[in-house]
Amino acid sequence: MRVGPSQDEIRRQNLGALLRYVHLHGATTRAELTNALGLNRSTIGALTADLAAAGLVTEGAPKETGRAGRPSLVVRPESDRIFAYAYSIEVDRLRAARVGLGGAVLDRRELDRPRGLSAAEAAPLLAGAVKEMRQALPADAVCVGAGIAVCGMVRRDDGLVRLGPATGWVDEPIGAAVSAELGVEVPVTVGNVADVAAFAEHARGTAAGCDNVIYLYGDVGVGAGIIAGGRRLTGHGGYSGEVGHMVVARDGARCECGNRGCWETEIGEHGLLRAAGRSDARGRDALLAVFDAADRGDARAQTAVRQAGDWLGFGVANLVNIFNPEMVIFGGTMRDLYLAAAAQVRSRLNSNGLPACLEHVRLRTPMLGADAPLIGAAELAFDRLLADPLDVG
Amino acid sequence: MSATPLLELRGIDKSFGPVQVLRDVAFAAYPGEVTALVGDNGAGKSTLVKCISGIYPIDAGEFVFDGQPVTISSPRDAASLGIEVVYQDLALCDNLDIVQNMFLGREKRNGLVLDEPTMEQMAAETLAGLSVRTVKSLRQHVSSLSGGQRQTVAIAKAVLWNSKLVILDEPTAALGVAQTAQVLELVRRLADNGLAVVLISHNMNDVFAVSDRIAALYLGQMVAQVKTTEITHAQVVELITAGRSGELGLAVDPGVNGNGAAPADSTTGGVS
Repeated sequence: MRVGPSQDEIRRQNLGALLRYVHLHGATTRAELTNALGLNRSTIGALTADLAAAGLVTEGAPKETGRAGRPSLVVRPESDRIFAYAYSIEVDRLRAARVGLGGAVLDRRELDRPRGLSAAEAAPLLAGAVKEMRQALPADAVCVGAGIAVCGMVRRDDGLVRLGPATGWVDEPIGAAVSAELGVEVPVTVGNVADVAAFAEHARGTAAGCDNVIYLYGDVGVGAGIIAGGRRLTGHGGYSGEVGHMVVARDGARCECGNRGCWETEIGEHGLLRAAGRSDARGRDALLAVFDAADRGDARAQTAVRQAGDWLGFGVANLVNIFNPEMVIFGGTMRDLYLAAAAQVRSRLNSNGLPACLEHVRLRTPMLGADAPLIGAAELAFDRLLADPLDVG
Repeated sequence: MSATPLLELRGIDKSFGPVQVLRDVAFAAYPGEVTALVGDNGAGKSTLVKCISGIYPIDAGEFVFDGQPVTISSPRDAASLGIEVVYQDLALCDNLDIVQNMFLGREKRNGLVLDEPTMEQMAAETLAGLSVRTVKSLRQHVSSLSGGQRQTVAIAKAVLWNSKLVILDEPTAALGVAQTAQVLELVRRLADNGLAVVLISHNMNDVFAVSDRIAALYLGQMVAQVKTTEITHAQVVELITAGRSGELGLAVDPGVNGNGAAPADSTTGGVS
């Protein structure tokens, strides 16, 4: 026989729910919280008092409402005091940020990343950025953890980067390396950049309120963060969503993973630059230059962009048929490709997608833009706090 | 996605002297959706927009707004219904700052003086509501802004007044790639915030990137209004240039089928 949850568990659950609500929605009156969480007023009062005592929220009088009656107190997250470190390890750059409870980026540093830098070499660079940010830290600030978004396949259990074809990483313990630099008291969580960006957009971005979402993230390669039924789909070991390695052409171009004809050989950085006749160029700026040239009438660039758009439509149609998402988000370089070749993407999607799956699918670009990996990484760190607010912090 | 249109036009006719520019045009714009209005030069797009915004009187036909039959006989009528138009030239004053431009002619007053703090706050809230991050200061002159930023200000000006329907005339013409992308995302966000948006564009990429429905005009007739998920680029181009594509658009011989101008029924999936 299953024993019901104890009072302690219920209380922990409610504290988490309340903190999560103000974390995602910002300052909220007690009255709204009562409605949103379905708890009675005295419970909300007791929970906020507990959270305020722990220094996680503050309560204050609202602005004039102009209505009769005693105004309901406003509960605000302690955004300046409670924070997480967020890192984004991309192919060309390293980013570090301090993100406050509530999701605001409080401080940030950006470094160039030479291609071929190992995890052990990247960790001190990130730690250096953190050291700089620590100097501007308010005296009473509390770090609840750190999250890392990395382009590569990440083992969920320990944050080991198993394979990052674009970065050249194989079995790099980035989580442990950053943890060693930060000190033991800060727990570090690692996630794949597409998964993490999808998480951020789902929590507080363009996909808020959508339960079935595919976030396509492109840099050199292409990956997807998939949210199915409101939950992150990570697979058995945490490696799912490697849609860039979906084989779309039997005898296609050689991919960095060793196979031939992977999707990302057609829509990724290398494929697009090759088709545009710029094989020796590298990086996001080179890619944007192709879109710009296409816009200005360069015939070869136009053909390359159209072709890549058509391939993007192919893959998205496959994904839409398999997952039946309500929203597909194009992030990273996929945003630029989608906006530059939407006619091709949509036409291919509309002809290859099954009508029932296409019915309600919305194609969107990210609301959080380039910050999505950082905000998502911070969400990874905040997740532990929100699960048990009084234990951490 | 809503089933009832915010604005519905039926049987609109409009002639300038002997030239009939709009012929029995039907058109609908839905809240929360971007409806792209496409057509060749001279197909009647601008005329249709000017009829909606009350600049031109219509010869025949009816307007239904929010379920109520209405008559729009002046731009003031259109504005009071919540219809705003952003024209290609944007109608911004270079020598005024962003806040002054957004409130031009509709300034907030506090007694005798202008209520600058309230106006600045409203402008800031509007831009924040549209997630605009490209504009640094609200007090910079419009002359110092880039093309994309100007378009952003013009669009923000249109949504400031709790408008319900925003019509954008070629908002990305003359913009570079990066700024086009920003404006397209802004257009999409307007609709996602619940407004009905009508986008006039010649650029099929823009149309496919953000629209939910596509309405095609051909020589003054509305030949099709279909969902963007049910049509391809090639079909839209055929509709614009030939007035029909497969089963869509005008009947093969317009003389036989007197109902040629009726838009294809988009709800029953009339597309093969």
